[in-house]
Amino acid sequence: MKKLAGLTVFLCVFTMLLVPVTVKAAEPYNLGVALGLTGAGALYSADGVEGIKLAVEEINAKGGFLGQHKVELFIRDSQTKPDVGVREVKDLILRDKIKAVINDYSSAVAMAVKPIAQEYKVLHIASISNSENITKINPSPYTFQVVPNSYMQGKASAVAVAKIANQKGWKEYITIASDYEWGRSTQDEVVKVLKALAPNLTLKKEFWPRLGEAQFTSYITGIMAMKPDFVFGILASNDNVAWMEQAKTYGFFDKIPYPGSLITVTELQLQAKTLPRNMIALTRAPFFAHMDIPMMADFVKNYRAKYNKYPSDWAVLCYDAVYTLKQGVEKAKSIDTEKVKDAMKGMTVDLTRGKLTFRTIDNQLSCSSYVGTITDDPRYPFPIYKDIVEVKGSESERPESEILEARKAK
Amino acid sequence: MKNKYLFPAALFLLAVVLPFIVPEFWVHVLTEILIMGLFAASFNMIFGYMGQLTFGHAAYYGVGAYTTGLLIVKANVPLLVCLPLSMLSAGLCAAVLGYFCVKLRGIYFAILTMAFGQLVYYIIFQWYTFTGGDNGLQGIVPPAFLGKAANPYYFFTLIVVTLGMTALWIISESPFGYTMRAIRDNAERTEFIGINIQRYMHLNFIIAAMFAGLAGALWGPFNRSVAPDLCNWHHSGMPVFMTVMGGPFNFLGPLIGSAIYTMLMAFVTSFTEYWPMVSGIVIIVVVLVMPGGLLGLLSDKLPFLKQNDEGNAKETKG
Amino acid sequence: MDITSLFTQFLSGLTYGTILFLVAAGLSLIFGVMNILNFAHAALWLMGAYFSYTFWNLMQEHSFAFWLSIPLAGFAAAAVGWFLEVVLIKRIYKRELHEQLLITYSVALILSDTIKLTWGVTNKLIVRPEMIRKPVFIFGAPLDSYFIFVIIAGAAVAIGLWWFLKYTRYGHIVKAAVYSREMVAALGIPIPRIYTWVFTLGIFLAGFAGGIQAPIGSITLGMDNAIIIQAFCVVVIGGFGSLLGTLVGSLIVGEVMSFTILFWPEGAMVLIFVITAAILIVRPWGLFGTPMRT
Repeated sequence: MKKLAGLTVFLCVFTMLLVPVTVKAAEPYNLGVALGLTGAGALYSADGVEGIKLAVEEINAKGGFLGQHKVELFIRDSQTKPDVGVREVKDLILRDKIKAVINDYSSAVAMAVKPIAQEYKVLHIASISNSENITKINPSPYTFQVVPNSYMQGKASAVAVAKIANQKGWKEYITIASDYEWGRSTQDEVVKVLKALAPNLTLKKEFWPRLGEAQFTSYITGIMAMKPDFVFGILASNDNVAWMEQAKTYGFFDKIPYPGSLITVTELQLQAKTLPRNMIALTRAPFFAHMDIPMMADFVKNYRAKYNKYPSDWAVLCYDAVYTLKQGVEKAKSIDTEKVKDAMKGMTVDLTRGKLTFRTIDNQLSCSSYVGTITDDPRYPFPIYKDIVEVKGSESERPESEILEARKAK
Repeated sequence: MKNKYLFPAALFLLAVVLPFIVPEFWVHVLTEILIMGLFAASFNMIFGYMGQLTFGHAAYYGVGAYTTGLLIVKANVPLLVCLPLSMLSAGLCAAVLGYFCVKLRGIYFAILTMAFGQLVYYIIFQWYTFTGGDNGLQGIVPPAFLGKAANPYYFFTLIVVTLGMTALWIISESPFGYTMRAIRDNAERTEFIGINIQRYMHLNFIIAAMFAGLAGALWGPFNRSVAPDLCNWHHSGMPVFMTVMGGPFNFLGPLIGSAIYTMLMAFVTSFTEYWPMVSGIVIIVVVLVMPGGLLGLLSDKLPFLKQNDEGNAKETKG
Repeated sequence: MDITSLFTQFLSGLTYGTILFLVAAGLSLIFGVMNILNFAHAALWLMGAYFSYTFWNLMQEHSFAFWLSIPLAGFAAAAVGWFLEVVLIKRIYKRELHEQLLITYSVALILSDTIKLTWGVTNKLIVRPEMIRKPVFIFGAPLDSYFIFVIIAGAAVAIGLWWFLKYTRYGHIVKAAVYSREMVAALGIPIPRIYTWVFTLGIFLAGFAGGIQAPIGSITLGMDNAIIIQAFCVVVIGGFGSLLGTLVGSLIVGEVMSFTILFWPEGAMVLIFVITAAILIVRPWGLFGTPMRT
């Protein structure tokens, strides 16, 4: 009898943990969000979540998708780690029954999540992570990228840098890039473009600090000792802030030009007091470049009212991600994922950054990259970009033939 | 005496029946329980049977996971071939590193295993061109005959883990297993009777690492990817906790610990993101309130759980 | 590579070594006296950094805010450390090794989430006063001017601890306790109280080190994960409970990190763990430690 009792206890404990999933009458649209809320990507991801929340609020105020499917948000922390990201997304799919997931900060996480989303037929929208490998090789019909990818960004900024390098007669440069998917794929592209457009340049050394590095002192002094003509940085989020702050205290930017590196609206706001001015930099979705578009102007107004600050690139991109999904649902006239997926293929969407189209070959949104000079502006409590060059998607995308070739080689 | 097979048999039966009753999410949880259970049981070969605490066991789990991952991604080797190769590579690693570890005892053993664990972690982490570095490896797909649903891979895992656990059981009940217990309880005396304890400990270390490698090999196809964090010291802490929770002086303790830990995690993460804090509190309560683990606590009440030779938990520090 | 560059790299190794020393000193002290390997040390270090940010934020308009917030962070962390010792750590001195490790590991988990709950997930940035925003040049080698303060603070902590252990009555008791707590107890000295204060002192050092770290970059969650493992290496290399050993160990790790970046950047951490493992194999008690009682 005792044996049976033991078994019964075990079974009871087990079944207690199996909370049944109840299905509601009016079907809501369950939207998952898995971003790096802690870890190296925390800084950008937090802004992204704010953008998503605002978009969902606006949509739900009008009844939800198609005016009847309320959007329910399920937010998880991928910790900017691929294995955690996979676990969280699986959890979102199986337990929260999400139909789409916005993910991730880290391209490595997005690439690990891509096959999971495809397997379970869930839409996967990459809104911060931007390695081109997310859509270039092993493409998934369920994965869409609404942010300019590493090829587009690398090309946009390398073209600008090559121009300066040729003007100034620079010869040697050093790259410092985060040692993971995004840093690697962007560095690769930048080096290739520079080689083509500024043949006199030689890459003297590559530095690869790990993702999440907080102590850059030795890198900084090491680079300064090598006296390159300029340095190209490919760092983001927490790492970028730590790197810039520490480099500045060494007088790094006074001695070595640092053109074309990623400095987003997050950094502009957080480091408003300390950022070196007149530096040429690159970003992905600065709100101030599109204040003439009503959707952007409204978004900035509402965002400021809700959060009492200006939206960063990540807030803009993640906000756009939700609206992309909304327009996909409207085009499909259904929340059925298969129909939405097919509707989104090659779709043109109305976003804060204007009318943009998904390329059919890789589901990459043909959006712009922005290069400009960091300058103070009396309208904002932080410096913004001046003389903005908007490099359109069509000017910076990888040719389709190259994509097909890469897929064949794989 | 036949009684002692009743509990494992009941567990096995439960494991066979459950996936047909529970939703798919819980089938994934069950798969994880089995993989981590085998990992924790292999850890317990060193901890429970040899009396030394390793804080770097995840290194061998990780080596196994990466062996299978690399073989599948780069060479398309069938999974059934990958599994023994993963055991082999983890065992080879342990043969080299374990040689040094078994010279030390107590806290020094714990720290050296941890240092070696981190060494393996950083090698995998930095070797971008081969291991994918921080990205890990993606596209580790289970073979076609297992399909894409959760159940087939679960049953595959169940078979492999059952075979693995049986092998560990046979080893622990063999004269070799009893020598390990003797070394644990009194190393000096064991040496006096003419046993080369270092050689025995080294062999045990390798065996434990091989089964950790087997558990790791199951992980990649389950998660479709592997990441360097699998070898990190945080991951080495998990079998320690699972084993302490389930009971280190019972062969099935680590598996039970894995079940409790994994289910608790699946349950808690459904309503709070503060799982680390909850797990921390649970660990403290378990360590302070039930040092013998759940099975240690239960076996006083339910004698069928008790195993003839291991009822007495050792109290001495060392 | 010219001499100035090497000197520059040496200086940056020295500064990193100093930061590691400040973290590892408390870790080593606690281990030496109580035999507790404190996994939660770096979490308290990070908490110190956040405390420092809060104090700085509260007093921002005063010019002394920046400097005062650093020791205040030490005291705030010490208060947390004292509480932890009295409530929890006290109970595990006589427990088994794995139980001690699990408990301090759990404390680290709980503290990390407490930090997340208290300060949120966004980065915190302390703006430095004008006088330490620019680099200084030593023989042509650039150095962040704040690091002069860091190195002085590190030296002050080293000398202060040395003086405390060598010349004060409490210091003698603590040193004696490293060798034989039974003997100290036999002399009628209340061991539990000594333990409480040693633990509190160790955590004070962690909090102080966190305060020192805070203005170097930005303060983010998870920073503690990288540093705890390096601090362990420092303590293992130098020897548990040895102040001199901790100092030497920190400088070794700091300089190895700094110079490998020039010559073999991928190998920095690998090399440090090779050194750590080699020391453990050849001389488990570290370069300057003494074989431990078991």
